[in-house]
Amino acid sequence: MEAVVALERDAQLMLRVREGDDTSFGLLLERHRGPVVHFLYRMVQNQAVSEELAQEVFLRVYRSRETYEPTAKFTTWLFRIATHVALNSIRDRKKEKGHESLSESNDEMLGGLERQVADRQPTIEQEMVHEVKLREVRQAIEALPAKQRAAVLMHKYEGLDYAQIAGVLSCSESAIKSLLFRAYEALRDRLAHMA
Amino acid sequence: MICLSKNEQGADLLAGYLAKTLDAPRMAELTRHIQECSDCRGLATVWERLDEFAVPEVTPGFDARLYARIAREEARISLSSWRRWLWRPVAPLAAVAAAAVAVVLYVHSPAIPDAAKQASPTQSNGADIEQVAQAVDDMDLLVPLDR
Repeated sequence: MEAVVALERDAQLMLRVREGDDTSFGLLLERHRGPVVHFLYRMVQNQAVSEELAQEVFLRVYRSRETYEPTAKFTTWLFRIATHVALNSIRDRKKEKGHESLSESNDEMLGGLERQVADRQPTIEQEMVHEVKLREVRQAIEALPAKQRAAVLMHKYEGLDYAQIAGVLSCSESAIKSLLFRAYEALRDRLAHMA
Repeated sequence: MICLSKNEQGADLLAGYLAKTLDAPRMAELTRHIQECSDCRGLATVWERLDEFAVPEVTPGFDARLYARIAREEARISLSSWRRWLWRPVAPLAAVAAAAVAVVLYVHSPAIPDAAKQASPTQSNGADIEQVAQAVDDMDLLVPLDR
């Protein structure tokens, strides 16, 4: 029920944006900025790139305001744009640089992120263990095919249901179910040693 | 028996189990099964491992940068629509002006009999050159309109 109310609110806000109400765009940005940036961060695993891509997503939302029709859930539409932007970026970056530079930038920011996330003061050993685990999780996710990765991130972290993920990835619900399960099984196999 | 690996809703059951949102009988059944099935236990562990993938906060200048991009784009769109608006009436005007010049040239051109044309080809050429020169001058007036 809460999700339905949220959908109606988002769609209403977007319809107001269509009529020129920029305050409603600000409210949509406020509500979805975090989830979109976080989804993109987990997709591309680079903060600067994820924020740049998120800007592109919201710019596309703003550009589309005049033609917007609430035919699907707003979040489905939004994540469809975000996924499209992320998949394009992953494809382009693979062509341009390969994985090495991406991993380097990940490692550079890993330390900062660790410090930001940890409230308590762990010992150096605990910190190193946590860092290794985190890196393994990130690498396991990065190793998934891009579509599986997007599906897992939307399912696990953004709470989208099968129908929404199917809408985002233009697949049937049954295809999404098996795609997701294959992805979780692949992750289980890659992370089995961490259990 | 609920085995996540053999259930079409496996991913959702797993999510529901870990979030404790399944109904009580199903929770109990799945708990028993996970204790016995190493595959399902592995999946449950993966779900927990993924929780460790924390994300950084969005940087403070995010909104300002976005609004600046939107403003730049709006300015660009506004400028290009102004250009379109300005040039829209110019093209037909130029066409009308060119047609008018052609009509004027045609009306004012001296009627030269065929015989005379044959007798004095040089004179005829001279008149043609004048007409062309006049037409070129007239066309020059139109040039700024086309730019």
